[in-house]
Order: sequence, then C-alpha cells, then structure tokens
Amino acid sequence: MKVRDLSKHYQMGEVIVKALKDATFEINEGEFVVILGPSGSGKSTLLNILGGMDKPTKGQIYMREEEITKYDDKQLTKYRRDKIGFVFQFYNLMANLTAIENVELATEICKNPLNIDEVLENVGLGNRKNHFPSQMSGGEQQRVAIARAVAKNPLLLLCDEPTGALDYKTGISILSLLSKINKDYKKTVMVITHNAPIAKMADRVLKMRSGEIIDDYMNEKPIDPEGIEW
Amino acid sequence: MNKLNLRLMRLIKSSKGQFLAIMAVIIVGLLVYTALNMAVVNLKNTVDYYYDLTNFADLYVQVVKIPAKSIKDLESKQSIVKAQGRIVYDVPLKVEDEDEKVNVRVISVPDSSENINSLYIVDGEAISNKAKDALVIEQFAKARNIKVGETIIPQIGGKQYELTVRGIVASPEFVYLMEDEQSLLPQPDKFGVIYVSDEFARQSFGLNDGHNEVLINLKSEKDIDKAKERLEEELDKFGVKRIITKEEQLSNRMISEEINQLKNSSNTVPLIFLGVAAIILAVMISRMVRNDRTSIGVLKALGYNNIQILFHYIKYSLFIGIMGSIIGTFTGMILSGYMTKMYIRFFNIPMLQVNFYYKYMFLAVLISSIFCILAGLWGGRGVLKILPAESMRPETPKVGKRILLERINIIWQRITFSWKMVIRNIFRSKKRFIFIILGIALTFSMTFLTMHQWDAFATIFNTHYGEFQRMDYNINFSKPLNDNVVKDIQHLVEAEEIEAKVEYPFEIIYGWKSEVVNIIGVKSKTKFYGFINQEGTEIELPKEGIVFSENLAKFLGVKKGDRVKIKSFIPEREDVYMEVKDIIKQSLGMNAYMDIDYMTDKLLDNELATGVYLNSKDDVKEKLGNVKNISSVQSLDDLKSIFQQFLQLSIFSIGILVIFSGVLGFAIVYNATTMSINERRLEFSSLRVMGFSKKEIYRIITKENTIMTVLGILIGMPIGRIMIRSVEEVFSNELYTLHTPISLKSYIWASALTIIFVALAQLSTLRKINKLDFMEALKSRIS
Repeated sequence: MKVRDLSKHYQMGEVIVKALKDATFEINEGEFVVILGPSGSGKSTLLNILGGMDKPTKGQIYMREEEITKYDDKQLTKYRRDKIGFVFQFYNLMANLTAIENVELATEICKNPLNIDEVLENVGLGNRKNHFPSQMSGGEQQRVAIARAVAKNPLLLLCDEPTGALDYKTGISILSLLSKINKDYKKTVMVITHNAPIAKMADRVLKMRSGEIIDDYMNEKPIDPEGIEW
Repeated sequence: MNKLNLRLMRLIKSSKGQFLAIMAVIIVGLLVYTALNMAVVNLKNTVDYYYDLTNFADLYVQVVKIPAKSIKDLESKQSIVKAQGRIVYDVPLKVEDEDEKVNVRVISVPDSSENINSLYIVDGEAISNKAKDALVIEQFAKARNIKVGETIIPQIGGKQYELTVRGIVASPEFVYLMEDEQSLLPQPDKFGVIYVSDEFARQSFGLNDGHNEVLINLKSEKDIDKAKERLEEELDKFGVKRIITKEEQLSNRMISEEINQLKNSSNTVPLIFLGVAAIILAVMISRMVRNDRTSIGVLKALGYNNIQILFHYIKYSLFIGIMGSIIGTFTGMILSGYMTKMYIRFFNIPMLQVNFYYKYMFLAVLISSIFCILAGLWGGRGVLKILPAESMRPETPKVGKRILLERINIIWQRITFSWKMVIRNIFRSKKRFIFIILGIALTFSMTFLTMHQWDAFATIFNTHYGEFQRMDYNINFSKPLNDNVVKDIQHLVEAEEIEAKVEYPFEIIYGWKSEVVNIIGVKSKTKFYGFINQEGTEIELPKEGIVFSENLAKFLGVKKGDRVKIKSFIPEREDVYMEVKDIIKQSLGMNAYMDIDYMTDKLLDNELATGVYLNSKDDVKEKLGNVKNISSVQSLDDLKSIFQQFLQLSIFSIGILVIFSGVLGFAIVYNATTMSINERRLEFSSLRVMGFSKKEIYRIITKENTIMTVLGILIGMPIGRIMIRSVEEVFSNELYTLHTPISLKSYIWASALTIIFVALAQLSTLRKINKLDFMEALKSRIS
C-alpha cells in the first residue's frame, strides 16, 4: 500500500483545521503496523481515509496498484465490503444480535468470507458464540469485533484503539490475538494507539503529531505482545 | 435469515408496545376501509338486484284520473317500455285501540304477473279472491303483529271493508317505509301499506275504469328527465299533480343517501387513521435512525450501502403496514358481511347479495404499504446523512440557548428549579414537543367531535321540538276543512292555545334547481313557532312573501330577497312567483312558511285548514282520537319517545368512535413518550446520579406531560371545531341540519377522556423509567 501527500482539512466555522498534512508512506502486505500518536494527532483521520470511510482533501492512496482516492461512494462501499476489516475502540456490536450473528452480518455481504466457526474458535469464543453482547465482557466483545473484521477475509485490518476501553490484561490478550491473526491469516494489520509501548510489537511504526508523520521506522525485532508492559 | 432482517425482527420484538400501538391504528383504519367499502358495494348490488328483479319504476305520475286506454297508449311511445296504472290512496285503518290513529296506503296491483314494482311475497300467497283479499307490507305486519289469515279493516270513503290478509309482502318502493318527506323516521306501527286487487280498488274508490297513478318503465334511465317533461304535457288533460322520478322516490332517496354517507366515511376515516399512523411511524423511524447512528456507521463501515440500510428501516414500517392491513382488512371483510345484513334488515330488502371483493383487500394492503413506505422513506432519510467516520464519535451536545422566558426576569425568578428544568426541556426539544401536542390535540378533537355529535342529536331535537315548534299537539285533518273547525275543536277539548294551519306540498323552483317541500301557513304572530333568522333575531312571519328554512335556501341557492317560482300540484293552477322575505333556522326537516291568509289567498282556493296546532293539558288524544276527519294527533311526547329509540341505536356507533379515538390517542402518546424516554435515558441517568429519586423524575415527566396535555387540549379545541363544522357540512341533508352550538359538556367530556387516554399511555410507559439502569446507560455506548 502506497500513500502520497495525503491531506485532510476540515472547515470548522471560520477556521480550517488541518487534521492531516501531506502524509506519505508505504506498507507491505502482511506487515503489522502501529500508528502512534497523542489524541488529536490525526491518526484516526488517517485510518478513516485508509479504510474508505472518509475522503482526503488531496493526495493518493494506492492499494495493489488501485487508486482508492479516485473511488466514488459506490466503489468505496464495495472497497470497505471486500478489502477492509474494522475494529473499533468501543467494539460497536449490534446489541440485538448474538456473537455469531454479528459476524454473519459482516460476512453475508462479502465475496469470499472465511469459515465463521473457525474464526470464532480462533479468537477463543467457540463456546460463547450464541451470547448477546450484553452478556459478554468488554474483552469478549472486542474478540467478536475482531472476528467480525477477520471473517470478511479483508486485505487490511484496521484497528482504532482496540485496547482503549479495556483493562491491561485483556488489552494484552487482544493484542496477542491481533498478532496471531497477522501471522496465521497473513493479514496486514494496522493498529492506531496513543499507547507507546504497543509500538514494540509492530513490524513498522508510524509516529504522528499534529497531523504530520514525524517518524516512520521498522522494528528490527518486534517483541511478543505478552512482553509489553504499561 | 438475513442477519439484518434478524436484527429487525428482534428490534420489533423489543419495541412491541410501540409496534402494536401503531398497528392498532392501521388495523382500525383498514377495518373501516374494508368493512364500509364492501358494505357499500354489497348494499348497492343488493338494492340494484332487488330493483331489477321487481322492475322498479322509473317514473311515478300522479294524476287526478286517467282511463286505462290512455295508459295503454303511452306504451307505444318512444322510450316508454311499460306503463301501468294503479290506484293509490291513504286511508285510516280500524284498529283495536280506538284512540290510536293508524293510516295505510291502499295500492292496487294488476292481475298480470309481469308488473312494475312487483311484490315479493314473504309469507302466504298472492291475491286470489279479488273482492276480499289484501297483502300487507312486511314492516307494518311485523310492527303490528298482523298474520296471514287475519282480517284488516281499512275505512274507504267512510265505509269499512273487511279484508283477509292473504300474504305478507315486501316492495322495492317501500324498502324504507315513510309516509312522506316530512316524517323524520319510519314509524312502521303507525303507517303501513296494503295491496288490493285492481277491481276492488276501482270499485271502492269509485274510479270506474280509471287510475290515479301511472308507473312507467323506460328503456334507459338516461331518458328520465326528457320523459318527465313530455309526460307532464301529454297527460296534462288528466290533471297531472306530480311526477316523481326514481331518483326522487322517497325510499330510494333515503337508501342512496345512506349509501353516500357510508361511502364518504369509508374513505375519510381510513385516511385519517393511516395518515396518523404514517406520521407516528415517520417520527418514530427518524428517532430510531438517530439513536442507531453508531450502528448505521458500523454497517456502512462493514460495506452496507445506503439503500440496504434505508430499506432495513423501511421494512420496519412496511412490516407494520402489511401486518396491520391484513388483520384490518380480514376483520373488516367479516364485519362487512354483518354490516350488510344489518342494513338490509333495517331497510327491509328480502334478499341479500353479499360477495367478498378481494379488490378492497388488495387495495387495503397496497394503500397501507404505500403510506408506510413513504413514512419509512421520510423517517429514514437521515440514514443518508450519516458518515461512518463521524458516527463513531459521540454526538456534539446540543447548543444550550437561553429560552425567551428566561429573559423575562420577573417571571423566571419565581419559578422553582424543577419547573425551570421542565420548561427548558420543552423548549429545547421543540419538535418532539410539537409532535406530542399535535397528537394530543388530534385525540382531543376526535373525542370532541364524537361527544358533540352525541350531544348534537339531543340538542337538535330539543331546539326543534320546544324552541322552534312550540305546540303540544299537532293535529292533521284527513281532508282540508273550513277554518271554523277551530271553534269546533275548542268545544271538544280545553285548549290553552289553538291555531289553524295549512300544510301543503308544493314544488319550489329557483333557476334550474327545484325541490318539493311542504309550505306551512300559520298566523303571522303565531305562538307555535319560534322563527329565528340567520342574524339570530326572532321574527314574525311577513304579511306577504315567503320564508325559507336555512337548508331549503341552501339547497336551492336562494338568498333573502330572491324571487322563486311556486308550482302547485293542484291541476290547472298557474305558477306563482314570490319573494323570499327571510331565512330562518330549522334543524329538522326542510320547509317554507307563510302567513296563513296570504297563503290561502295566493296558493289555495278558499279559507281552509289542513290541521290545527294546540296547547292543552287536557287528554287530547282520547278526546280527539275518535273524531271524524282527524287523521292524526301527534304529541310532543310521541316524538320524544321515537327519538329516544333512535338515540339508543346510535349509542353503539358513538361508543365505537370513542374507542377509535382512544386507540389513536393512546398510540400517539404511548409512542411519543416511549421514544422520548429512550432518547432521554442519558439525561435521566445523569439526574439519578446527581441524586434525583425515581419519584422526582416521574414528577418531571408528569409536569411535562401536564403542560403538553393542557396545550394539546387547547389547540385541539379549534381543530375540533373545524372538524365538527366540516362534518356538519358533509352530513347535513334534507332531513337534518346539524348546525348546533357546541356545549360546555362536550368540552368537559372530551377533555376528561383525553386526559384518561394520556394518563393510560403514560402509565404504561412508567415501567420503562422504573427499569432504567442508570449506571449502564451512562457507561455504555453500545446501541
């Protein structure tokens, strides 16, 4: 994936807020990427644009030689449907659907989904799949959200502060799960966080501040999530 | 099942109260739609079939006397297919109770079997002994308990004839059995019809080979008006009194009127209900979309497109619409069968043509679906505006502005804190507020309309008999008498007041419109009528000219000062032109009034009276009951009891209407309150956290609802008044003028019922506040 001069400006009353300024970077398939930055640094904006949920003011994104930034709304919907998997900070599951149904909600509309039971087994919810979100802990809900994103069999898994609402232990287990998915399913995983230690597990780290990418480096030896502490 | 549909089903399950409330409104609407529409078609078909089978006459020509040959001659002419002479006279019937006045219309039937207005034998058989046999109309036979084989004794020309009842019959001409246009309601025990042989009638009435009425069947109904004009000229030499077309025929007119009213209601009532359901649905779905903002964002992030998501919400309303319409239309279909039967029994039609018209069921589902899809589209349009990226962020709080009242320090400072909160709440969510208020207003106005109609019947009656007509007794003579008769009656009974009257039917013509009404002549300073003109002042009858009742003036399009043509049914009389001097209020019936002297001078030959009005404490009925030449003695009490019976019939329909309004009101308030509680979970939770008790929160909601109920009722009042006046406009006919003042009682009743409906709806939502888990509501952002 290639990103060139990506910018996003918001009109807020009379002021123009530059949420993203000329971001340029490249990601290889199968990488585990962590975007690190304080709140308001533009990382969510970047993630939203990469995921086809928002359009940039200028710049280009290429995914496997396809220019995403040229897409119209219809094509963006299709792109989200087939290429992208989202994991949100607050899980955002449908309250009146069970775990498995929440996953099926996503896979029903995409081309070649993975086996749902297998995915749920892999995220450790084999025996909880018929529970409703309200009957599950935050960690379990986030696992459902990850299963929902993975089962679509996307090219890119985008995670917006996936541990933000979770306690330390659960957070680590979620990170381990993401790492496992990155390795087992060979998915490109992109995690945004303000939590610096998480960067240690990444293959590639993008540091952001005030809408700019201030650092872009590869970890020589990414550590196992179990070894992260904060 | 598609997971999005599964979500929908669970959504419906979790909001089943609201779902059922809206569905009830749709069910009522389509029940009324199907039941009334099918009843209209079935009724019309039955009547048409009956008319067809019995050869219902197109024209009735009333003449002085016409020989059989001249009737036969008519048949060869142009559009006339068949002409049939008969003899028709109203005569008294001798009954056991000597005081009771019972009249019958004696009608002759020809021997041949292919007759116009042929009779349908319900019991017994046709006339065999031409000199002694008679057939009796069913309603009369039932009301007076006359059986086949019994003897009835009509008095014809002062002579009593003993006739054997050979059969009980029904006639298309008397489906609705009323003596004349002036009777307000059928009185089957006081007026009946008996059929006798042609021979018997000619002999007993002394007409030799002549008849006094000709029934005519035309090739096509289109020719009626032309044929009427021509016959009027051709038969002039036989003394044409009046020609009545099929359309004008009393019984047929009453049925058509009833069918038309049914038809009017069959479309307006469902429209109101569907409209209300659609508005509730639209509002409900728009709220739902707003509450589901994050979920919709997630769906979009997952790759669902706008149409899929929008359709998800439209399905919700469509599901309600289809379910409601199917239930409504099925129950309506079943009900229509009963309704048609009820009408047919009421109208006395000896046959029944009930069919189920699947067209209306199909239309019911279609119309309901269209309403619900539109509601879904309108309510769900917010889906399009939700951007997935933005929907994940918490909604920006509403801009807190000071409300106008806060700027008025003197008032604001005196309001307690919790009232301040209530008032601010109301003003900050104006849309919700307006929606609930309009809902309450609609409920109020519907109930108000119902209560008023109930009240109006009684008011009409009391104003008509008591304020307008002030006589204790209305006495009619069997033939016009010299006006000295007043003195004779004064010898018989002790009368406090007595006046002679003249009452005759005339055709009044203005421009191209004409109407047959009874013109009543009384003394210009009569004590028996309270004539009040349109300006509200009481008037005396002018010495010259004529005075119209309001609905007659409206029907003919006549204004004060216009000149009208008055055509007499007395043969050989010239038409008279007269000025309409004033227009007076009359709630029952349609009449014109004149000074009695002017009337006899201009319209009649000599000083005659057709009856008297009288006030007396004497037992008038007994003393005058047997007097020769008096055909009827009608007392105010008689009329009152007839009316009581009629009122009892309408209690049922009034009750149903109140229930309908209740369903509407409950659905609106229940849904609005539920939506509002769902939306305000966060707000109430915050209050709970701050230390408000559940009771205090109830109190806040109750205060809000009280303000809204009061405002709703206040706004409902003018809306209700408009509804009442337009219903009066639609339902006023020649018999009733429904323009009555609205009584305080209606306001009070309607308000009380509305408050009950609101309270019921609110009580059923209290549970939701009780169950409110405030910790969960504050913590969770799951939708």
